[in-house]
Amino acid sequence: MDEKKVVAQAQQGDRNAFAILVNEYKDRIYHLGLRLTGKEQDAEDILQETFIAMLQNINKFKGNSAFYTWLYRIAVNNGLKKLKSKANSYTHVSLHDPNVEQTHSEHLNVWPEFDFKDISNKKFRKELDEALLELPEKYRTVFILRDLHGTSTSETARILDISESNTKVRLMRARNFLKEKLEDIVKLEGLL
Amino acid sequence: MKIEKYKIFDQVCTFLGEDLDSEPCKQLKEQLQSCKDCEVFVDKIKRTVAIYKTADGCDEIPDDVCKKLFKKLNLDDLMDAKENDKK
Repeated sequence: MDEKKVVAQAQQGDRNAFAILVNEYKDRIYHLGLRLTGKEQDAEDILQETFIAMLQNINKFKGNSAFYTWLYRIAVNNGLKKLKSKANSYTHVSLHDPNVEQTHSEHLNVWPEFDFKDISNKKFRKELDEALLELPEKYRTVFILRDLHGTSTSETARILDISESNTKVRLMRARNFLKEKLEDIVKLEGLL
Repeated sequence: MKIEKYKIFDQVCTFLGEDLDSEPCKQLKEQLQSCKDCEVFVDKIKRTVAIYKTADGCDEIPDDVCKKLFKKLNLDDLMDAKENDKK
């Protein structure tokens, strides 16, 4: 797809171009919402709100960044708004930081080789999802964007409107927190 | 053994998002040479990310969600047409 051309056509009101853009990004935006909130209904809301905003505001996109950076920014903002508005009804979202800033002395027990089939095991998968949702939003968003969606440090910084060094720090803290959680899961599952 | 160590150094630098020749990376390389714990730490971080990435490939947007989206955007008549325009 020649994205610049499609975006330009969409900016001139071409419905087909809109449809191409929606189709190109719908899975990623839905996935982003699902990982951010952990709820299918919220992911669907974020998906719809993001593309409605895209339709209404596409003429504000000036091409100073990649189109998906602009779109992700809308999606992340919608996701964070959703989390804030429902803060009381989420059981897993912490309003304070968990132990993400602590440094832990590393245990020398090396993890066993996982059979990656274990990951499709529903219970294991649920535990991974829950661990991710225990991360405060500011760390979770960086982990989702950098490690799951593959955006670069500079793109992530731009999407979240934070500095690149802040992005790196948040990513390391998120990874470290999830590693600790995974350590617990591995022990619980008797893999160690 | 040395080659393995250098692989780990490069991975750590990637994790930090730094250039390989940057000062933080040089310092980190020195520390890792005498730090077994660091190696274990790096291995676990790497595998944590890999596990999440692997687990993450399983989600697809449900058909009904997709249909509702296109309807909401008044683009439901273009759901099939757009498929032909994709690469």
